[in-house]
Amino acid sequence: MTRRRSRVVGRVLFWLLVLAIFVYLMFPFYWALVSALKTQAELIQTPATLWPNNPVLTNFRSVLSNDRFIRALLNSTIVAGAVTLLSLVVGSFAGYALGKMRFRGKEPSLYVILAMTMFPQIAVLAGLYAVIRVLGMPAIPSMILSYLLFTLPFTVWVLTSFFRELPDSLLQAAQVDGATLFQSFRLVLLPLAAPAMVTTGLLAFIQAWNEYLFALTFTIIDEASRTVPVAIALFTGEIARQEPFGEIMAAAVIVTIPLVLLVLIFQQRIVAGLTAGAVKG
Amino acid sequence: MAAASTAAPARRSRLARFEERTALYLLLPTFVILALIAFYPFGRVLMSSFTNARFASSAETEFVGLANYKALLSMTIKELPVVVDDAGQPVLRDGQVQHESWVQVLPRTPQRYRAVFEFGLLGKRYVLGAVTAPFVRSIWDTTVFTVIAVTLETILGMIIALVLVSNFPGRGGMRAAMLVPWAVITAVSARIWEWMLQPTRAGLFNTIGSHLGINDGRTDFFGNAALQLPSMITMDVWKTTPFMALLLLAGLSTIPSELYEAAEVDGASRIRQFFSITLPLLKPTLAVALIFRTLDSLRVFDIFQVVLGNRRYSMASYAQDVLLSQRNMGLSSAASVVIFVLVSVFAVLYIRMLGSRTTS
Repeated sequence: MTRRRSRVVGRVLFWLLVLAIFVYLMFPFYWALVSALKTQAELIQTPATLWPNNPVLTNFRSVLSNDRFIRALLNSTIVAGAVTLLSLVVGSFAGYALGKMRFRGKEPSLYVILAMTMFPQIAVLAGLYAVIRVLGMPAIPSMILSYLLFTLPFTVWVLTSFFRELPDSLLQAAQVDGATLFQSFRLVLLPLAAPAMVTTGLLAFIQAWNEYLFALTFTIIDEASRTVPVAIALFTGEIARQEPFGEIMAAAVIVTIPLVLLVLIFQQRIVAGLTAGAVKG
Repeated sequence: MAAASTAAPARRSRLARFEERTALYLLLPTFVILALIAFYPFGRVLMSSFTNARFASSAETEFVGLANYKALLSMTIKELPVVVDDAGQPVLRDGQVQHESWVQVLPRTPQRYRAVFEFGLLGKRYVLGAVTAPFVRSIWDTTVFTVIAVTLETILGMIIALVLVSNFPGRGGMRAAMLVPWAVITAVSARIWEWMLQPTRAGLFNTIGSHLGINDGRTDFFGNAALQLPSMITMDVWKTTPFMALLLLAGLSTIPSELYEAAEVDGASRIRQFFSITLPLLKPTLAVALIFRTLDSLRVFDIFQVVLGNRRYSMASYAQDVLLSQRNMGLSSAASVVIFVLVSVFAVLYIRMLGSRTTS
């Protein structure tokens, strides 16, 4: 009897814990969404209401008609997309060489790549700005180029370990059939690598979409090139002049939804990619 | 077979040379890009850290040797003397001994030292002074931030991972929910938290706090110096605990369940099982996750810059602010190099652990 009771208590405590974790993970979004739906008057009302009395879409409408914000969404998409594509193309070449070929200097190259995955961005900031000035690059291409600093080493590292695990027999079979190294790369390895490419591509995209330090520094005088994180961090509204938090929260919700969808769809892949380097021995 | 074996060595070496050349061609784009955006810029930063270069300016720069580093890292600890009256007796206020202000104690020449913080030790009061107090304080703050945030993330992440490793309906949904804070743009999450932590009851925390009678509903989380770091830590823990939990979860699921079944048979308690089975087997995962998170949080920039601006710095937000606001590229570069060195210590640890496992 007491044993059954203690089991019931255990179950209840367990579910309370699950609920607490869920609330902890989600309440900032709840608050952002609820605030975005409030009227300006309700927003500054004290104490704050836990849900909107009469939800309105004013904040969403004004953010979506804000040219600077739309521009930032577009910029972010271009930058993150280009960075992802470039890292995958360049990274898969390097990953193939490091994972499947024998050559001198392989070990040091691997160590350099691994070290680069941890390189502090701040350590190159001033020098990178100088390079960009010398090359005369506008802000958007400079962001695309400089984001490779953190996406490329990571992509190479994950793809290398992926290629390494593919059986050699596949490549040998292709070579027996008279395929060149490039053909066996394109026709045999690349199709097999598609899942790994999706995973690393997603992670590269999210990292680039998130980046703030370079974006803030490179677009400080070039307002039209600002990406989403910078636009939201420096947001000045259309409706209210002073810290328009209703609009900021609406913008936050808008830029978060696509990421949440992406994460929900590719959940398994992302977890696999995140833990690839750290857990697999 | 016999014919093939005589031809093999020559052919293999030709193939091997071809393979070697191909590999280098394939690696070339990666290393050209890294040279352009990492090696060369870092070299520039290193060089300009010995000069008085200005940011985005074409003015002549001069070599200044170690002056920038000296300015950044000159520190001194001085005792703060007790305030005494004419009779040489300590002046008491509210029963407390009063100490002189640091202004009286810290050197002013050749460079002026300012207080980083005061601390008491063995009944005496000391002040840590530095020529560039904001930078020294940012090193201290970033270290405190890192130690506390990573510890909390590990404990919370472990609890979440232990809950999620057991099978229950809705587990998939919980796992997905965990990725959400991780995927949100850090700068955006900083603004959400900034709004939740408003200094009036328009903010969520002040509303709840005043409802529960914890505070008066006017706690200024970002203005009050004592609450700035705790606020930053709260934000960071929320954002990165899920990542920690995911890593630990992946590690947990590699532990064979037979071990727990055997322990159950032996009558070991859950707590005993955790310390004798789970923790030892999770050690490698835990070590990697800890170093990884430490590296990340030593480089913290976004949340400090967005919420605190120049009110309080992390190491990275200080270096960036000196570059952009003060346009002092020399000093900023030196600060960047110092950060690089500090981060490298942990990076080397990390490479040792990961590299030895993957290249062998």
